[in-house]
Amino acid sequence: MGRWLLARLGRAALAAWGIASLVFLVSRLLPAGPEQLVLGEAGELAYPTTAAQRLASNQAIRQRLGLAEPVFYATRSPGPAGHWHWHGCHNQYHQWVSQLLRGNLGQSYASGQPVATLLGQALACSVPLAGSAAVLATALAVGLALYVARAPQGRLRALVQGSLAFLQVMPLFLLALALLLLLANPDVVNILPASRQGESASGLASLVYWAARATLPILSLVLSALPALTLPLAASLRHELGTAYATTARAKGLPIGRVLRQHLLPNALLPLFTTLTELLPTLVAGTVVVEVVFALPGSGRLLAEAAATHDYPVVVAGVLLIAGVRLLGLVLADILYFLVDPRLSPSA
Amino acid sequence: MKLARRTPYHANYWLATSWLVLLLVVGLLAPWLLLPYPAATPDLLHMATPPSPLHYLGTDPLGRDVLAGLVAGAQRLVLLSLPAVGLATLVGAIAGSAAGFWGNKQLRLPLASAGWLLAAGWWLATLPARAAVVSILLVISILFSWLSSRQAVGSSRRTFPLPLDSLVLGATALLGAVPRLILLVALAAGPPLSFVQLLSLLALVAWPETARLVRAQMLRVRVQPFMEAARASGLPAWHIWLHHALPHACLPLFSFAPLTLAGLVGLENTLAFLGIGQAPDQVSWGSMLTTVRQDPNAWWVVAAPGLALLCTLLALQHLAQALNKRFNAG
Repeated sequence: MGRWLLARLGRAALAAWGIASLVFLVSRLLPAGPEQLVLGEAGELAYPTTAAQRLASNQAIRQRLGLAEPVFYATRSPGPAGHWHWHGCHNQYHQWVSQLLRGNLGQSYASGQPVATLLGQALACSVPLAGSAAVLATALAVGLALYVARAPQGRLRALVQGSLAFLQVMPLFLLALALLLLLANPDVVNILPASRQGESASGLASLVYWAARATLPILSLVLSALPALTLPLAASLRHELGTAYATTARAKGLPIGRVLRQHLLPNALLPLFTTLTELLPTLVAGTVVVEVVFALPGSGRLLAEAAATHDYPVVVAGVLLIAGVRLLGLVLADILYFLVDPRLSPSA
Repeated sequence: MKLARRTPYHANYWLATSWLVLLLVVGLLAPWLLLPYPAATPDLLHMATPPSPLHYLGTDPLGRDVLAGLVAGAQRLVLLSLPAVGLATLVGAIAGSAAGFWGNKQLRLPLASAGWLLAAGWWLATLPARAAVVSILLVISILFSWLSSRQAVGSSRRTFPLPLDSLVLGATALLGAVPRLILLVALAAGPPLSFVQLLSLLALVAWPETARLVRAQMLRVRVQPFMEAARASGLPAWHIWLHHALPHACLPLFSFAPLTLAGLVGLENTLAFLGIGQAPDQVSWGSMLTTVRQDPNAWWVVAAPGLALLCTLLALQHLAQALNKRFNAG
């Protein structure tokens, strides 16, 4: 198991590094490089200068942002008859990778703060959000799938299945927006805390405040993740219900609820783990939308705002973070596989 | 002669199809529709006004006409998302089916072609000393192919395998390392994207899923008896791939393409909702929905684009289900 897991992890880590490098290089090689965008914003409040002064301040900003060096190990000079130049280790990509290996994610263009600090602050909000959504969604999915598998053909079951199919196509931003406008609107129903006193309070008051504020985001994340978890599990439970051992268990006189829970569920759970691998990254991607809609200071909103303001060090760090979360999901799913099904041998 | 009677389409299917056809017509005819207001120009005298005879569906908090925005969103869907799905399906079908058909070892290129490829790459990348190196490479590969053509009689030609399967799987793994929304947000984080850039970005994000599906199907098709028969009749491999295997491997795409379109429409509108990589004069359903946060009581701003988006996605889902029943049931 160890070697097999290691190989899988190695491949996933390679893909994560590749995609982060891709985003990094694309951001640095854009026709209008990142410093142009920063300069454009700085230029709006700049005093009139001569061309030479502007060139000097451009150069200073490029130095400060670490953009004065060439982008990659080998670059081609511009123009149709450009030549290739070899730069050795003095390039931005090498700097970025070596700083990354030392745990330094760089500095934000917009605020000048270290990206690691910004991410750390944001994660304190996002990890509880995504984590509780993951746990709730999984528990609810198992319950709903058990219900759908045993429920008689009827109106209630059709309603549950119909709403699951409906939620499956509903984009998360529309869902979150609908919840915001229906349940956090002073004119309709308002379940959000009215005052912002709890924000700075400590202890229980702060806990209650944040719990009330997190209800709707968690609800929208759970609802959006639910169909992808429930529908395959219900289908696999229904398949297991038709097998011989299920018939035997029923023939022994066991009630169907117990057959489903104790005999069929462990076998039917296996395909769910594959979905669980994708659940964590999907939820983290969902926080991008949810935190923007509900104005929560989390990592998703940080990423969305960084993307809107061309703050590339934060964007690249966010991509790395989410790829890392996916690695975590892979490890979790594999460990769960082996815990639940000892038949699975690594060679299979 | 058809043995099995085709399953009749459900009423939902006709409802879904007529909505999609309506969208298509509106999107294509948008420039000639004679709307009272342009989509991107705000009416500064009427900001966030409810539906009235002046603005039939009201205006959003930026003063843009909602009806014109709806039509602009439909146009964007037809001109942007639809071609993106077409491109993604084409690329995914070709890459996935080639990877499944030839695998890692089946596609063998003659060794001389490596020289040709290397020479072409050297020339295109304008690596140093390109005239000299390219001519040397060309001479070597011409000599080599002449030699191997003389040896070919009786003995096997020297070839090397092209690991197509690993290449395609590697590319899909690379693009699948982060969720599609994150990839899109990260790659669109630059200056506002042009139309073609956004289209190719959407296609880039969407093709791996199609490729994976077609590859899996091709692995099943490859071992069918009719493939063996085709090979035994002496047809060249590319002919078998194109005319015999590809049509079967692409069968699931009939129901998968509407789902891909639904996913891309959702993604594109999410991107517009977040306001990332959008040109300021572009209006879509997502960018109209985002303005409601400035004025939560303007229900008409949410109702029209939200309903249009939801109807489109539901219609695509129903279409996919109906096509799935029709093509993949038996």
